[in-house]
Amino acid sequence: MSVRNVARSLLLAALVVPAPRVLAAPDSAALISSLKRTAPATIAFAEARFSSLLREPLIVSGELAYGGPRDFERRVTQPYRETTAIRGDSVSVDREGEQPRTFALQRAPELRGFVSAFGSLLAGDAAALERAFTVAASGDAAAWRLELTPIDARARHRLRAIVIHGSGAEPRCFATLDTQGGGSVMLVDAEAPVSVAADASLDGLLAQCGAE
Amino acid sequence: MSRSPAALLLLALWVAGLVAAGAVAERHLSVTSDLRLFLPAPATSEQRLLLEGLGEGPAARVLVIALDGAPPEELADASRAVAENLRGDEGFRFVANGDFALDEIPDALLSYRFLLSPTLDTEVLDESTLRAALVARSRDLASPAGLLIEPWLPRDPTLELPRLLERWQPTQEPRREFDVWFDRAGKRALLLAETRAPAFDPDRQRAAIERLETSLAAVEAGGVEMTISGAGRFSALMEARTRGEAQRLGVAATIGMLVLLLIAYRSFGPIVLSVLPLASAGLAGAAVVGAIFGSVHGITLAFGITLIGVAQDYPLHLLSHRRRDRTPREVARDLWPTLATGVASTCIAYLTFLFSGVAGLQQLACFSVAGLAVAGISSRFLLPHLMAETRRDLGDSLVLGRLWQAIMSWPRPRWAALALAAVCAGTVALARTPLWDDNLQGLTPVPASLLAADQELRAELGTADLRYLLAVEAIDDDAALARVERLEPGLAALVQRGAIAGFDSAARYLPSAARQRARQAALPDSAALRASLAGATATTPFRSDAFEPFVADVERARALAPLTRDDLRANGLGDRVEMLLRTDSESGTTALVTFTGVADVAALRELAQSAGEGAALLDLKQASESLVAQQRTRILWSLGVAAILLAAVVGVALRSRERLLRVLAPMILATLVVVATLQAAGVPLTLFHLISLILAAGLGLDYALFFERAADDPPEQRRTLHAILVCSLSTLLVFALLATSSLPVLRAIGLPVAIGVVANFVLALLLTTPRKPASGHALATEPMVARDLRA
Repeated sequence: MSVRNVARSLLLAALVVPAPRVLAAPDSAALISSLKRTAPATIAFAEARFSSLLREPLIVSGELAYGGPRDFERRVTQPYRETTAIRGDSVSVDREGEQPRTFALQRAPELRGFVSAFGSLLAGDAAALERAFTVAASGDAAAWRLELTPIDARARHRLRAIVIHGSGAEPRCFATLDTQGGGSVMLVDAEAPVSVAADASLDGLLAQCGAE
Repeated sequence: MSRSPAALLLLALWVAGLVAAGAVAERHLSVTSDLRLFLPAPATSEQRLLLEGLGEGPAARVLVIALDGAPPEELADASRAVAENLRGDEGFRFVANGDFALDEIPDALLSYRFLLSPTLDTEVLDESTLRAALVARSRDLASPAGLLIEPWLPRDPTLELPRLLERWQPTQEPRREFDVWFDRAGKRALLLAETRAPAFDPDRQRAAIERLETSLAAVEAGGVEMTISGAGRFSALMEARTRGEAQRLGVAATIGMLVLLLIAYRSFGPIVLSVLPLASAGLAGAAVVGAIFGSVHGITLAFGITLIGVAQDYPLHLLSHRRRDRTPREVARDLWPTLATGVASTCIAYLTFLFSGVAGLQQLACFSVAGLAVAGISSRFLLPHLMAETRRDLGDSLVLGRLWQAIMSWPRPRWAALALAAVCAGTVALARTPLWDDNLQGLTPVPASLLAADQELRAELGTADLRYLLAVEAIDDDAALARVERLEPGLAALVQRGAIAGFDSAARYLPSAARQRARQAALPDSAALRASLAGATATTPFRSDAFEPFVADVERARALAPLTRDDLRANGLGDRVEMLLRTDSESGTTALVTFTGVADVAALRELAQSAGEGAALLDLKQASESLVAQQRTRILWSLGVAAILLAAVVGVALRSRERLLRVLAPMILATLVVVATLQAAGVPLTLFHLISLILAAGLGLDYALFFERAADDPPEQRRTLHAILVCSLSTLLVFALLATSSLPVLRAIGLPVAIGVVANFVLALLLTTPRKPASGHALATEPMVARDLRA
């Protein structure tokens, strides 16, 4: 085993080892702080995008890397290669066959909401999350559900809610729901690659997330 | 010193009058620093463009702003915040940082995107183009930015609008980080701001700069530093620096003068008295210029105030020539013919500027003539009434007597004057320094380091090279746009060859009607577009009916009347086009093509020539040099006429050719000495030097006139020596201080006058010698100079 593989295993172990269990009741603050992750960490994801413009969902998979509260990378490996790096308020996108682009989160309040939600969750920072979202928790420790509704009016214009499903200290699904009846569902798994069926529907996937 | 009640009343009235005049002047006088006032009226279209551009032109009003000193992300945030704060600000026409929002474009213009964008010149909206676009869009949609882009997709699946907006950015798009402009190194965020105030309005420019700075302060971006550069910034900066330095030097000069006058006259009374004609002169000059021209140019004011050098001498002559056996009024009457000759001849010299055709010089003439006349007349008719009888007669001074004798004992070889003239002429002829400074920048001296920094920032932003412009004339806007379009392949070839780095023209923003129609014709009809879309959506995950709004938009675009300049203006997007498309009621429209990175001027000129009648490559640097040369020609003509008139006035007053030569010789030689000294020191002459030379000549003329007057009378010689010593030392003090200034303008005034005063004093003493030996001393000093000059 190379040093690199050892390090990788340790990282994955850090993700897998659960934080202390305080999840008897759906207390959102306690739940959120239990989701805290130690940077750096990587996790496999598969995401399905639903839109009224689409005949069938767009499905991509790859891995997410968490380097700290304001540092993420989303690396798509299937069906094409694309890396989106979000550092602070700045986004750079590098897609195969295209010129790399950079832009600012400022321009995209919807996107900023999503990123800040993600960052706050991984930092276990309930207070930061509650500054941008109305947070509602339900379910129990074995299958919990967090629903985040943006407070900012401009963000709410496009983003209806972010719904996160999980079990214990492990989030399983991140669903981003827009106001047009579309959205995306991202399944994550720290241990094994995940996949989404090509004929999945938004409601079906959401139900699947809730059932687990 | 006791004075009569009448004298005290006169003093009170005079002071009150000055205070009142000062208050009026303060209120009504506006000081301008518009350089164009000191340039002749433009004769060619190049010169006209140059002058327009100098102050009012957009190029001169654009400030470049750099944000520095923080990580790029923070700088980008600060850049956005500054632009946001200033949007809609009254002081700015626009603030640009490279950021653009899709929803800023008026809906009325959205459908025009296919007519304005060059996409359809090379591509067809067919199935394969659409398929490639839809594949890219599906990936966009699956990315984190999907939420953002989704609402635009049904109407604009090819993203034509963002492409168009990007095309409307500067030709050589600066590096873009996080949606805003950065320098090549990615270390500084860059912005452009166009002020409403012209560049040469330092007060409004300063206000605009302050607003820029407060807009950054409001952002609370820790550590971010703002650098502002541009003509307006320089004008505000130089005005503040000139003001500050002039004030510091003024305080030093005032203290020096006080000490000098106290030593010379040993009481405070004369100092107070000598200020009165001086202040009257300054106020009268400003009032006359204000009444005739409405505003006073800063340069006029600066020069006008240096008239102190001449006007102050008038009361000093009166004070030094006081004597025990005469009343001050009698002394004034005795001195008047000499004084009046000096005043009249200097005034006539300045009057020639009235015919120079240069507004700034006309102002200067009015200022000087009014000021000198008031100083001379008040010294003659008002000042003597305020002067107490004196017990001290400088004619008795043993020290001055001995000094005079010592000076008279100096050798005065006949050939010396001519030799000096020859040396000076030789120096000028052999000096490597160019005689004249043809650079317009010489008149607006901005420190070279600031100019270099400005150049560097502008290069980073890819703003146009301001030296070369291609002007294309046509009968109307559309014809001009079409002509420019015909030049585009040639220009693109020049870019390819590296002759230029890039070019910009109005046609980039507003294509000609013909070109818009051609693109319209290339748009598919609804049936064809639906068929292509059906093919493209079949192989991508998009629904076949997802792009109906796009079909409707293309259908609308097919029926649009071509966009005009007025449409753009009505939608607030006309600024760029206005800069590059100039309508003249007489000659139609001139379209301008600007360039970046001009490397091969000959190639550009060739292109302009091949473009036929009405197309020309303008060289604004050459235009500015020719303007400066014209200005100089006019000044030199004025000077020539002035010299003749001056000689005539002095000749009439002195009624003797011999005396005339003795008076004029020191002045002419001194002027030569000044020019030769400047040349030897490597200083090419500018407008400022020329005007300073006239000032120095005016002083020299007075010295010579008074020395000549005192020729035969030993006590009077001592009084005159005293008067001229005080006059020349005080003038030397003021102008030597100016010569030490760090500012080129003040130095250009100070240096020639300081050298000129010394040269005039020494030469007047040596050349304007008495006809007979003074006080019976055996000094055989015949008027050899007169003979020399005749010879």
